[in-house]
Amino acid sequence: MEKANVTGSVMVVGGGIGGIQAALDLADTGFYVHMVEKSPAIGGVMAALDKTFPTNDCSMCILSPKLVECGRHININLMTLTEIESISGEEGNFTVKLKKHPRYVDMDKCVGCGVCASKCPKKVPNEYNEGLTKRKAIYVPYSQAVPLKYTIDRDACLYFKAIDAGKKGKCKACEKFCENDAINFDDKEEIIEVNVGSIILAPGFSAFDPSGDSLYQYTNFKNVVTSMDFERILGATGPTDGHLVRLSDHKEPQKIAWIQCVGSRDIHHCDNTYCSAVCCMYAIKEAVIAAEHSKIPLDCAIFYMDMRTYGKDFDKYYERAEKEIGIRFIRSRIHTILELEDGSLSIRYADEQGNIKHEDFDMVVLSIGLEASRDAPELAKKTGITLDKNNFAVTSCFSPVSASVPGIYAAGCFQGPKDIPYSVMEASAAAAAASTSLAPARGTLTKTKEFPAEKDVSGEEPRVGVFVCNCGINIGSIVNVPEVAEFAKTLPNVVYVEDNLFTCSQDTQEKMAEVFKKENLNRVVVAACTPRTHEPLFQETLKASGLNKHLFEQANIRDHCSWVHQKEPELATEKAKDLVAMAVAKVALVKPLEPVTIGLTPAALIIGGGVAGMVSGLTIAKQGFKVHIVEKKDRLGGHALDLRKSFKGETVKTFTDDLIKEVTEHENISVHLNAELEDVSGFVGNFKTKLTTGKEFEHGVIIVSTGAGPSDTREYLYGKNPNVLKWFDLDKKITDEPETVKAARAAVIINCVGSRDDQRPYCSKICCTHAIENAIDLKALNPDMSVYILYRDIRTYGTREELYQEARAKGIIFIRYDLDNKPVVKEVDGRLNVTVTDHVLGRPITIEPDFITLQTAIVPKGHEKLSRMLKVPINAEKFFLEAHMKLRPVDFSTDGMFVCGMAHYPKPIEEAITQAQAAAVRAMGVLSKEALAIEPIVAAFIDRNACRGCGLCVALCPYKALDIEETEEGRKVKLITAACKGCGVCAATCYRHAITINSFTDDQFANQIEARFAA
Amino acid sequence: MTEDFYPRILVFCCNWCSYAGADLAGVSRIQYPATGRIIRGMCSGRVDPTLIADAFIYGADGFLILGCHFGDCHYIDGNYKAQEKIDMAHEALVYAGLNPDRLEFNQASAAEGQRFADLNTEFHERIQKLGPLGSADKYPLPELTERLKIAQKALAGPKLRWVVGKKSVFTNGGNKYGEVFTQHEINRTLSGIIIDEMATHSIIAALEKKPAAVKDLAKELEIPPPDTLKYVLALNRRGFVEMDGVEGTSPMYKYKGEQS
Repeated sequence: MEKANVTGSVMVVGGGIGGIQAALDLADTGFYVHMVEKSPAIGGVMAALDKTFPTNDCSMCILSPKLVECGRHININLMTLTEIESISGEEGNFTVKLKKHPRYVDMDKCVGCGVCASKCPKKVPNEYNEGLTKRKAIYVPYSQAVPLKYTIDRDACLYFKAIDAGKKGKCKACEKFCENDAINFDDKEEIIEVNVGSIILAPGFSAFDPSGDSLYQYTNFKNVVTSMDFERILGATGPTDGHLVRLSDHKEPQKIAWIQCVGSRDIHHCDNTYCSAVCCMYAIKEAVIAAEHSKIPLDCAIFYMDMRTYGKDFDKYYERAEKEIGIRFIRSRIHTILELEDGSLSIRYADEQGNIKHEDFDMVVLSIGLEASRDAPELAKKTGITLDKNNFAVTSCFSPVSASVPGIYAAGCFQGPKDIPYSVMEASAAAAAASTSLAPARGTLTKTKEFPAEKDVSGEEPRVGVFVCNCGINIGSIVNVPEVAEFAKTLPNVVYVEDNLFTCSQDTQEKMAEVFKKENLNRVVVAACTPRTHEPLFQETLKASGLNKHLFEQANIRDHCSWVHQKEPELATEKAKDLVAMAVAKVALVKPLEPVTIGLTPAALIIGGGVAGMVSGLTIAKQGFKVHIVEKKDRLGGHALDLRKSFKGETVKTFTDDLIKEVTEHENISVHLNAELEDVSGFVGNFKTKLTTGKEFEHGVIIVSTGAGPSDTREYLYGKNPNVLKWFDLDKKITDEPETVKAARAAVIINCVGSRDDQRPYCSKICCTHAIENAIDLKALNPDMSVYILYRDIRTYGTREELYQEARAKGIIFIRYDLDNKPVVKEVDGRLNVTVTDHVLGRPITIEPDFITLQTAIVPKGHEKLSRMLKVPINAEKFFLEAHMKLRPVDFSTDGMFVCGMAHYPKPIEEAITQAQAAAVRAMGVLSKEALAIEPIVAAFIDRNACRGCGLCVALCPYKALDIEETEEGRKVKLITAACKGCGVCAATCYRHAITINSFTDDQFANQIEARFAA
Repeated sequence: MTEDFYPRILVFCCNWCSYAGADLAGVSRIQYPATGRIIRGMCSGRVDPTLIADAFIYGADGFLILGCHFGDCHYIDGNYKAQEKIDMAHEALVYAGLNPDRLEFNQASAAEGQRFADLNTEFHERIQKLGPLGSADKYPLPELTERLKIAQKALAGPKLRWVVGKKSVFTNGGNKYGEVFTQHEINRTLSGIIIDEMATHSIIAALEKKPAAVKDLAKELEIPPPDTLKYVLALNRRGFVEMDGVEGTSPMYKYKGEQS
């Protein structure tokens, strides 16, 4: 804590999923965030994806809540259409000069109604739909965009075109029709200066552009599309409204081919030496979704070199695609693509044996790779950070989110191609790293809103005020708003009604607050748009005028009424009346609710003292919180002690030794060696743990970092012949006895020993790279040694691919084998003898190596017991299961518990470190709070006397938020409000009607139903 | 049914998927009939079977419940639990005389504005064909309503709620003795309980009005006399019903009121 003069704010550059995650993590741990996004809205590439692998979650569904949260977070200053101009200062205190481009629309006035765009006469290609549809010159990038504010595209606007050509500007249709005077043609570019302590760069990637390529014919053949085009074709808001048709003739395709590695692993058509790491999975996903989507049977084929399904549950996804859905996987090289008369395409390709074949398809999808963001060189120049030859930010494996300038961090695809969960992890890790040196300034720049004391309305008869919104013409042009308002006056408990042009506008809000007081209202109904976007706004107004925010109900008469019944204005008006009546009926029964606050112990328990556990512990300790690290063995370090180097060649031992020293000496860390958990009780913020050593302590969070290790094997004469080694034995041998190793004439490394089989249907992820590293080292020791790697797919994802290329260049021999035709290892006259079928020759060949190294699978140990003790799930392979594979990669679904490192899934050291830092910042999201506030939309008793403690609700609660307790009145259910999420399964189950969900009670529902049929 | 009939439909939407899907239909201006009225809850798992009965008791011509797609539930598996409860409510209400097509559970994601609109349109068309509540059902109004109220009582009681609550436990993990039930077995059990509960509550309702003999109850309620006797004796044992003299050769039974 030596640096006290630091700025408690961070700049996040890039508003994709990575930037959003980093911003939310920082803002939730007490740092003010300036978020800079170049385009008019945040969301990035993820907003344009249809589904996400391997869960097939709808991309927008899981992203949208984060967008909204980011957009309205009081401690995130969202600056769209903004770019970095220059940076000065140093770690802890940077001054950033920003250029803010004009939007030509006043953000305070624009309500996102869209009238401007409907009147705008100019159409241009819509970037969101990859140019497959048109948008207007005044536009929002996509319908769920945050902020939902229109932007004028100066290059497309007819008025500006004329002005920029030195002529008199005409049109201005948008200005004419905007009901809110939001259009401002005089808007100017601005330069702003902002002081921040750290900077996180997350500008994402640019997709490879195959236009210029003669092989793939993207430009020339209409039915050759990129994978991004295809995402939009599948998307419900895409060019074909989610109907799977080909673009040339809108016919439903019967056969689609995917071509992998377009712009990846390719030095002939481009200079991209690396693997893009995500294309295999997204191609399978697209094929699966297309096959499920298509009304007619669809034949999908994927043309690939190696199938790189290396992540958690990826191999199972691949298996399912092949065996259940019938996707064909063709290991091949593409030769040519020809267009047939009807627009179909003929693919000529060479199969694995080198035979030329051809097959016709209705559509071809190019699985385009991920390139460094086009903005990366410019950004590097302005910030002074170093990029590699592919323009990705340079980082070390041991500080994987730190860019080359102190205080500047890199996350997501900016530092190499990767998938969404890994980007999210890096973003969280960057938030942890970026805030470490700023910890003394935590909370110095964050804001909290102050509200007047709440009026006590208990015992008062409901006095309901109804505000009916016209939403410009959005509601008013269809629904007869005055009629609805008149009707509202006749409803029970209603004492005040008014209609507004825009209920949400700033001035109306101010007037409303006055009306609440003047009319002495104690319940409010707004009939307008959707509560999903506007309820928080109206609730703020209630709070500002001293009313509890829960005394509110919104009737959605726009999204659910005027917009969807445009041709039936009378019926729409009737519906609007009913919706208002139902809202009034409900609001009469709602009760003021207080946020539940609980105290917490600002300490972390970390289970497992390997690299992941130590890094997360140290990250937390450095920010001033107490940490307990519990390690089963008699020393820290875990499996890192067996490792020689990272894939970038850095020595692991030096790093691990330093880390152990730092952890052991840190004043905030207690290390408990030779210890395991005996008992854990409590919930987020308030856990109590007893160790097998008898030691007991309290803590607020738990991080599980128990790791995983190499599996046992009896295959390939392991344990029978001393020259059959496990992978870390070879590491040891290279370090300890280089001379013996050097003497060998031939060495064989066998991959996938115990991985990707029926027993363990997953890829151990680290073995391919590790085998290649060792093979290269063997060659370095003795260039004459014949080194063979027997593999099933080479999965050197990302920039690891360059190691693969190096290995091939050095003459290491790669032989592919199949699961049903594994290599056979025998001992002949005391010598090892390996027979394997060569994949090119199709004939068995025999090798007589001096030693064989087995890349045995990575397996978790002892997770069942821990899983039961902590009540957190493990998957079929006994790895811990995170809350959400995509967007909550280090959280458990139980609040206050986190996972990192190999306990989650096999992974290389830099990913384990990233994940550990990510888990640390997520944990600090809890620890940095003085008290935990919980939205009171949770389970509550209506009638505790009625509860008989039968426990059915306890059994059905998905969050363990209910328990049974013995009380003086007998067995009763105990509400663990801190763990409750408010789903209401308990309320729908209780036959005593003892339990309910606040603001969603049975009598409120019944009142709504009754009000519907009262008339 | 004529085109003039404009059905009165209730739609339950969960906050995270289907309600957002409805919003997206709005943002995308996808048109659908104006007959549905949305009630928002947090999760389809919140839908209490008695509320489903309420909808039809109050007079809804149709009730469409929309949750997240399976596997997408914001609350892990709330929609699976919803499915089980809604299936049970459906069976009980249909047994009481409701046309099976008046209640539907379906799914729409936050990205499926078109699907939301389509589901509403299809449901609207279906209900329009059926006509108003009581017209394509086993009984006309108000008799149907009376029977639905009895179903509601059955749905409110512990028996059905326990079995449906434990359904997935029984079919996956097994009962206390490790016996795993097939879906078929558990559904058959559930159907049996629905019949028992409906009969029991009809008998209570009849006896609440006036004391009666078993044979008269059997006739009035169309339950075979031996079964009626069985239910009455069970109610007698549980203290809900007691003997109230003998008329001719038949013992008369009367309702004693709610026992706790």
